Amino acid sequence: MNEFEKLEAELKELVPGPPSDEFTSRLENALGDAGNVAMRCMPNQEERKDDFAQARQPSSSIRFPRLLAFSGLAGLGLAAVWAVIFYLSSSIAPEGKTVKNLVDIPVIAQSNIPDSLLVAKEDPDSPLHGLSLDQLEDVSAMPVSGWSDPQINERFIRVVDEGIFEHPSGLPARRVRQYFMDETLWSHPASDTRILSTTPREEVLFIELDTY
Amino acid sequence: MKTEPIWKSWFARHGAKLLLFARQQSRRPDEAEDLLQEAFVRIWRLYGHTGEVAPGLVYRAIRRLAIDWARSIDRRQARENRVAMESPLALSFDRTLEQDERKQALLRAVERLPDQQKEVVILKIWGELTFDEIARTLDESLNTVASRYRYALQKLRNLVPEEMEGKKEGLTQ
Repeated sequence: MNEFEKLEAELKELVPGPPSDEFTSRLENALGDAGNVAMRCMPNQEERKDDFAQARQPSSSIRFPRLLAFSGLAGLGLAAVWAVIFYLSSSIAPEGKTVKNLVDIPVIAQSNIPDSLLVAKEDPDSPLHGLSLDQLEDVSAMPVSGWSDPQINERFIRVVDEGIFEHPSGLPARRVRQYFMDETLWSHPASDTRILSTTPREEVLFIELDTY
Repeated sequence: MKTEPIWKSWFARHGAKLLLFARQQSRRPDEAEDLLQEAFVRIWRLYGHTGEVAPGLVYRAIRRLAIDWARSIDRRQARENRVAMESPLALSFDRTLEQDERKQALLRAVERLPDQQKEVVILKIWGELTFDEIARTLDESLNTVASRYRYALQKLRNLVPEEMEGKKEGLTQ
């Protein structure tokens, strides 16, 4: 090692200290939305062991208001799943065969529902017109009560830069589209039933640019 | 799945080096953070969506902003009124260096280098940029940058013993 190399090595041993936390948080404020455009997904230990646990355990990054919104929609979603199952069970079955033959569960085709049931008194809790919750339970072969609170997970997929647009204010802005997959898991411990619903979602961000 | 903005890990990796360069460029410790903030935000808004930004872009932005700011009358006035203050470079390094005479002398020697050589040393040693990247950051030719670095090391070789001697003389007086 010559003299210069030794000098370089000595200089490299001096390590500049990191910026203060206060400065970093100041930077975060200054970045605003631009700071959240590129995100890094970091799977934790548990998720590596069991991928399905990902859907069970809500991400810590989910904001509380969003969680509330999802919870509010959860009942509606579950009802929609029931409706789809009910519809499929009645429409996919080949003629002359009942769904019972196909899936080996006590389900009756729509055509077999007695007329008296179809004109039954409206059940305000039922998601389907003309069917009470009890009837729905019979028809769909799925339990109505005993479901755990739905587990919500937001999965970041990718981000696409769509270039520079003129903001309504007249200033140039970068339009960035973020894609997420929202996952909702309903589970019924008694029957060990789980329903996972995935909904794609996209968010568009306008990042105002400085004219430099 | 947990998500975190990429800029945080990026800044944790490059923040210290960038702040050091900002200190060297701004010459005033209180201005360095503003300079770095302005440069980083501008660059990240333009390129941050890609998830990876070349540090050279931020170094370049710091330098250009420092030149712009130096041109403004208020800031120039402030620079002219600058009183002898603690060395901006020394501010960037660990305080435990105070116990290491040799390292302190090294830093003081770097401080005494001409500005053009000092910025090359900072970008090369602590910024870990190649000569090519330094040349682009400083808008200079590759040969000029490499020469400045070589001259800087030659100067440091002479300045460090001087600084060590000076310290000893100061102590004996």
